[in-house]
Amino acid sequence: MSRPQTLASLGKVVVIGGCGFLGSHIVKYIVERHPQTQVAVIDLRTSSNRHASPTVSYHDGDITDFAGMTKLFSKIKPDGVIHTASPHFDLKPEIHDKVNVGGTKNLIKVAQDTGVKAFVYTSSASVILDATAELINADERWPIVTGAAQPEYYTTTKAYAETAVLEANRKPENFFTCAIRPAGIIGEGDVQILPKMVGAYRKGQTKFQIGENNNLFDFTYVGNVAHGHVLGLIALLQTQKMLPTTPLDSERVDGQAFFITNGEPVYFWDFARAVWHEAGDRLPLSSVWHLSADTAWAIGTVLEWAFWVLGKTPNLSRAQVRYSTMSKYHSISKARQRLGYEPIVSLGEGIRRGVQHILAQQEQESQKKGQ
Amino acid sequence: MPSPSSMVYYVFHPNELRSIIQWKVWHNPVHERNEEKETENLKRCFFFLDLTSRSFAAVIKELHPELLVPVALFYLILRGLDTVEDDMTIPLEKKEPVLRDFHNILDQEGWNFKENGPNEKDRQLLVEFNVVIEEFKQIKPAYRDIIKDITKRMGNGMADYANNAEHNTNGVNTIKDYELYCHYVAGLVGEGLTRLFVEGGLANEVLLQKPDLMESMGQFLQQVNITRDIKEDLDDGRRFWPKEIWSKHVDEFEDLFKPENKQKALDASSEMILTALTRADDCLYYLAGLREQSVFNFCAIPQSMAIATLEKCFQNYDLFSKNVKISKGDACQLMIESSQNLQLVCEIFKRYARKIHKKNNPNDPNFLKISVTLGRIEQFIESIFPSQRPPVDNKSPASVEEAERKKKEDAEAKWDMIYMISAVMLTVGTISLFMLFVAWMAGARFDIAYYQMKEQLGELLGWGSSNVTKAVEVTSKIVEAVPAHTEL
Repeated sequence: MSRPQTLASLGKVVVIGGCGFLGSHIVKYIVERHPQTQVAVIDLRTSSNRHASPTVSYHDGDITDFAGMTKLFSKIKPDGVIHTASPHFDLKPEIHDKVNVGGTKNLIKVAQDTGVKAFVYTSSASVILDATAELINADERWPIVTGAAQPEYYTTTKAYAETAVLEANRKPENFFTCAIRPAGIIGEGDVQILPKMVGAYRKGQTKFQIGENNNLFDFTYVGNVAHGHVLGLIALLQTQKMLPTTPLDSERVDGQAFFITNGEPVYFWDFARAVWHEAGDRLPLSSVWHLSADTAWAIGTVLEWAFWVLGKTPNLSRAQVRYSTMSKYHSISKARQRLGYEPIVSLGEGIRRGVQHILAQQEQESQKKGQ
Repeated sequence: MPSPSSMVYYVFHPNELRSIIQWKVWHNPVHERNEEKETENLKRCFFFLDLTSRSFAAVIKELHPELLVPVALFYLILRGLDTVEDDMTIPLEKKEPVLRDFHNILDQEGWNFKENGPNEKDRQLLVEFNVVIEEFKQIKPAYRDIIKDITKRMGNGMADYANNAEHNTNGVNTIKDYELYCHYVAGLVGEGLTRLFVEGGLANEVLLQKPDLMESMGQFLQQVNITRDIKEDLDDGRRFWPKEIWSKHVDEFEDLFKPENKQKALDASSEMILTALTRADDCLYYLAGLREQSVFNFCAIPQSMAIATLEKCFQNYDLFSKNVKISKGDACQLMIESSQNLQLVCEIFKRYARKIHKKNNPNDPNFLKISVTLGRIEQFIESIFPSQRPPVDNKSPASVEEAERKKKEDAEAKWDMIYMISAVMLTVGTISLFMLFVAWMAGARFDIAYYQMKEQLGELLGWGSSNVTKAVEVTSKIVEAVPAHTEL
């Protein structure tokens, strides 16, 4: 058996949401590592994050539109699908229902109907996180948390979609699915984590620390998440080739979910300080003010009420207090054993790339304003 | 007799004094050597063990009887080899053949060596080396083969370094060279000991299939020593910190010791500490493979001391002016905790990892790498002693449909409950009313019963019956007064 990680072509691969943050990195990864693959990107708007390679084609489309998707898939005839599309976290519950659940179910149906062999879904590591417990070296044995126990409706819909994807595995018998659960994605184009942290530095908030800073937290460079997705896709395609032989239960990838992280859980505030340092902060450790988690929680509560009256969002909220004082990290043993996954970019390099990207963008913007 | 300064120290650190007393009073060796059965020759060997090793002699002498003598001799043989290598007064052409041939010397009855300079502290061991050879002859052939194999490889490695002119003038160049040097002087010891443990049936043979782990055991100890001994080695004209590390911060090795380079020196030291720390999780993994308590203690105690020493050296500028040491109280505490089980040793590693973490400086070039390495130690400990188990599956709904079904079921269950309670209440109520009716028909006086109940209740709550009547009077007066007010 040739080493699948070095295959020149993965056949025809559709990347849903390929113009988004993660999706565009997956496209870049496939072009670089498997250059003879035909990549078709489907996204709501395909104007941004376009890859120049001639092996990549772009198609506008809405995954909630069943007829439109069927038409596109019939034309492209993909071997594999990587589905990364998701609406923004802060949008209304109906949209999450419609896109995450409805859209994903549409895609499964379309893929089954048009002879797709492998379907990889981007889930979220938070599907096992409830409103109170920490996650300490959590693995795939942890049950998913949805409904009333799940504090974020977005995550509930991600979990529903993941279940739907995994249940569709081997239906029909030559259709294979798996789910990737990344934790805290950072990198070039990240809109959630790094920009907020750089913003906190600009506002002079780096002299505070909430809690003891003994809580380990997983962050994952986007290129590693892309790597995990493609390894999942390759494994599913291999499983399909093996038919009618079935892999051992302990080696199966199809029908399975995998946590993908950098494998470098790090103390939460150390991560923040590394980001701030990369952005230019040189504050010595001795000037940092320590705020206990309880005090911060109380302040957060008061601020949230006060700002609610004013109709604004405060700088410190209880959710932020919780996230910055809790342990949240995972074991990636299953991905290592079954996917052959090993992070390809270190956390430090990931931070450097992500923050430098933000600084370059801000530089450009300020130059534009100056003109 | 303790010095006055240490007495003052312990007045202010009573916990450490307590640890010392506890160790001295309560520590029972797992095994004790039986001096009565020992030959004069063997006694002389143990005398040399005490003479040449301060830290290892104690743990070696508590080893399981099966391995006590082989390990003690292994130590003395390597110490002998080291004494030849270390002595700069022996010319190379004389030194090299001894180093390369040392494993054969072990078979030469009566061999000894008198060419060491007078200042070599372990000189006497080589002068009387024939006693070691005599005892070596008597141990099991399987142990002899292991010891000879390691001696041969270490001797050749040392000879290569002794021959390497560049190493002698400039010290160690790259990190790879540094690790190779540590391999020869310590990694090989890890291998030899592991093979002895497995041969003696006191460790899991799987350890032999994981050579990285035994290598790390030696590397960790050696790297910690090299990191800590920078000043002492400089004074002796030697340098073991690899150029690849210090040259990132200063141009000349000696610049590390200049006060104006304080920050640079600290940055270089944290990279040395980081390099050693990356071995820590392997060491814990290795300890998990040991089966016998005395072997566990023998391996665990030095490792715990090593991580505590690293913590003491971390961000400590004294490293460049004196010999940084953990206090005797801390050492006793570490020995108490390391001579029990793996979980306690893991606690030590976690405790010191967090102490290092607290001092980690965000402006250090290796800040994040150190943090990640400490996180890896903690994660490894969690993987063998998990503090969190997979939670109970509360059967969260897995789809929108299921969620709605569940909601509906919950609502139905709620109404079921309401119906059930109403039915029970209705039944009980009907029966009670019926009983009251029967009683009334039979002539019960509910008015008297009600009055008596009120009175008894009043007594219970502390008003006398007279109070009740008073209260009634007062109330009626108020009631009378009311119309007067309303007229206003």
